Amino acid sequence: MSLSFTPQDAWKPLPDSAWNATTARHLLRRAGWTARRADVDRSASEGLTRTLERLFPTHVAEPDRFSMPTMLARFEQTILTRQRENARLTGDERLRAQREVQDRMRVGLQELSIKWLEHAAQPEASAVAKWTLFLADVYVVSAEKVRNPAAVYRHFDILATHGLGPAPALTKAVSRSAAMVFYLDLGQSQLRAPNENFARELFELFLLGEGNYTEADIKESARAFTGYRSNADGTFRFDERIHDKGPKTVFGETGPLRGDDVIDSAYRQPAAATFLPREVARYYLSETPIPEEHVAALGAIWRERGFDLGALARVFFGSQLFYAPEFRGSMIKCPIQFYLGLIQDMDLHIAPLPRFTLTPLRQMGQLPFHPPNVRGWVGGRQWINSATIAARRQLVELLFSPLDEKSLNADELFELVAARSNGFNRFTVSDEPFAPLAKLNPAEAAVALTRTFLAAGEGTVDEADGLLRDFIAASANDETQRLRRLRRAAVTLMQSPGYQLC
Amino acid sequence: MNRIPALPTTRREFLKRSSQGVGLLAFSPFAPQFLVQSTRAASPAPEKDRSILVLVQLAGGNDGLNTLVPFEDENYYRLRPTLAIPKDKVLRASDTVGLHPSCGALHGLFQDGKLGVVQNVGYPNPNRSHFRSTEIWETASNSDESAATGWIGRFLDNACTGMPKESSDPVAVHLATNGVPQSFASAQIHPTFGVAATGGNRRDNEDSRKLLERMVGKSVANAASHSAAVSNSNASFLQQTVMDTLMTDRKVQRVISGYRPGTSYPATQFAGSMRSVAALIAGGLPTRVYFVALGGFDTHSGQANQHAMLMTQLSDGLAAFQKDLEAQHLDGQVVTMTFSEFGRRPSENQSRGTDHGTAAPLFVMGSRVKGGLHGTAPELKLERNQDLTFSTDFRSVYATALEQWLACPPETILGERFPSLEIFKNLA
Repeated sequence: MSLSFTPQDAWKPLPDSAWNATTARHLLRRAGWTARRADVDRSASEGLTRTLERLFPTHVAEPDRFSMPTMLARFEQTILTRQRENARLTGDERLRAQREVQDRMRVGLQELSIKWLEHAAQPEASAVAKWTLFLADVYVVSAEKVRNPAAVYRHFDILATHGLGPAPALTKAVSRSAAMVFYLDLGQSQLRAPNENFARELFELFLLGEGNYTEADIKESARAFTGYRSNADGTFRFDERIHDKGPKTVFGETGPLRGDDVIDSAYRQPAAATFLPREVARYYLSETPIPEEHVAALGAIWRERGFDLGALARVFFGSQLFYAPEFRGSMIKCPIQFYLGLIQDMDLHIAPLPRFTLTPLRQMGQLPFHPPNVRGWVGGRQWINSATIAARRQLVELLFSPLDEKSLNADELFELVAARSNGFNRFTVSDEPFAPLAKLNPAEAAVALTRTFLAAGEGTVDEADGLLRDFIAASANDETQRLRRLRRAAVTLMQSPGYQLC
Repeated sequence: MNRIPALPTTRREFLKRSSQGVGLLAFSPFAPQFLVQSTRAASPAPEKDRSILVLVQLAGGNDGLNTLVPFEDENYYRLRPTLAIPKDKVLRASDTVGLHPSCGALHGLFQDGKLGVVQNVGYPNPNRSHFRSTEIWETASNSDESAATGWIGRFLDNACTGMPKESSDPVAVHLATNGVPQSFASAQIHPTFGVAATGGNRRDNEDSRKLLERMVGKSVANAASHSAAVSNSNASFLQQTVMDTLMTDRKVQRVISGYRPGTSYPATQFAGSMRSVAALIAGGLPTRVYFVALGGFDTHSGQANQHAMLMTQLSDGLAAFQKDLEAQHLDGQVVTMTFSEFGRRPSENQSRGTDHGTAAPLFVMGSRVKGGLHGTAPELKLERNQDLTFSTDFRSVYATALEQWLACPPETILGERFPSLEIFKNLA
């Protein structure tokens, strides 16, 4: 892959003169879920630097963070007591009690997923939410194994809290995430038989990448991480008694190393500077790897900034390379982005029903908190096959069809009523957004639709314009038909290949 | 003749026909073979290789006690003062149980020996959540476990379909469902296909499909003039893949709309879905599993009329399907099976309805089915708000279907052994 910029120039800031609505759209589509008109205008006028500070703040204020859903808070408070009570039961009673806990965990996880989607759908929270999702694809845990929704929440909270601060602090906090301790069997690690799973993944998948550590480094690091335990209520504890206090040698340094020391040592390795930048480029710039020299250049900058993640984000999203023409509209949206982008594009509220959220996401291949394995989601073209394309098309139809309340079961109706009483009622697309378009002539309406929904690239926009114009024009002067055709045009655009790109 | 129309096999033929409105078909590696090989349509797969399973989901929790009515049991009438079906209305299946009065057509099949009713089907430690219990039935997991794949998905993963690995023909088809059913979730990618997506009416769907075809077709046509970098791009990849699914869409719609059934179907959406299944089977699709959903069974209040209406739809739709298959001499290849996430509470509630329950009977229909009652009836000496205890594990039903009908070793799919049932005629 040959790029428009040399490694030295690639990461220099985009010149002010190059900042406009088009570059703003590219930024918003990549950094968040979509580029809404109002957000584009605001970003274009306030300038790139100010926009980046807003999207990736050095500190995410408490009210803007994803707070723990009430049901989960209650669950977390009572789970320890409950487990203790259950331990005193026997036989059938105990089984029944345990099953009840499992059920509550399952329901809690559903609740957590839907609440996270609601949070991530807010435009002000989108960039940080997507960045958190990116970090979760590096520091992977899966609810499939972890089960305890409070622990899953806490893990994501760690990623959100430390995600724009110094990376070593993030890694250390993650090593204390009960979900992580459980997911990578760190809680099983014994003094005499240290479990290597975490140490290996720490080096291979979180910090350095394969080939940048030895088996000996892993074995010794495993010893350093003994004593890490996760509690039943999803919190972390360090057990001194089972910690191996002896001297270990990791990356050529010897001492009575603990987990944090190993992490610090890892960050001193050359590979640490480039590992995460490479992942950032793969997630946000191009699925095809960019040349190593370019990654190394970004890595050098990042190391100079003390591995600050916020700085990395701002340098990356502010760089000339990020705005190079070859990267416009070139990435395939992950299912979560497709869904949340759709919600934002049509100004909808998330319907708090699994059938409107989790079921489509699962069918599209990305159920929140359930990455397929420890490497996270592969992404890119892996998102696309006949079943997932059908799922995307169906989701659009679902959101554009009036809600058929007769087909809902009692639980779903209950959730819907509760949401409405809280002021959330725009679950499907009404005619309202199309009223202003109905006043335009077909050609103008077509352009308005394509400019709103399609990312630039390869003339797909122009090709669509003419066809849409004719389709809309076929309604002649019939108002009802015009509205119907405008809606159909929007649906079709969102089902088209172009809308799958960002 | 209901066979798939012969299709162009060369690019020149395509370009010639495209001016007549057939449209450009992308010759990508993703195109389903059954669309591009006209020869395949001329020589259908041998009958014995193509046993087909049709799954009918009764979504919401079907009230089993009013489906197979224990009209001689005084407990039934005690527990359901207003909802119990009067003894003289029941369509008798034996001296002690019979079908809901709206199941006349199914009753006829029962008398002809083509309908098996497996009684009191459920699983240990039943879950009464729609979402979770449906998941249990679709993934065939224990109620305290969770599986990422569906039982049909695992059937597909284990290469039991007898279809060549390279084939892109849809191995499993679903209709009138909320997207791909969890039963189809698999570890590997298999081409599945969905008919008549929910949401939006037919005309709207058609309009979108045609417009989308034109949009993508234009992009694909322009692709010829693009550089290699562009034609390898994600945009190009998406265009090709979307085009292929659209083509499959269109051809399947054509098979369905061009179909001449061997009997008339009722004018319900459910019957329409069954008719489409018949169309695809008759059309020569090598698909082994079809999945149709019928919803509305969550009858918490005012159950009587709602349930009667659903039973009518189910009974008339299934019977028409069976009759159609027989008229086309396809009945030897097809077995239809219903399932529901749970039955309902034996005692009725204060709203003349029933709450979520546990076990319920299910139907197995077909010429190769051993008609009659299977399993044992539930014990009804219960208090208010007590639930039935199942006597046949649903995985036994699956195991039997896998082994005896789909010729697939059940243990690999289900993880453990389940006793099989005698629900199929001797298939030697």
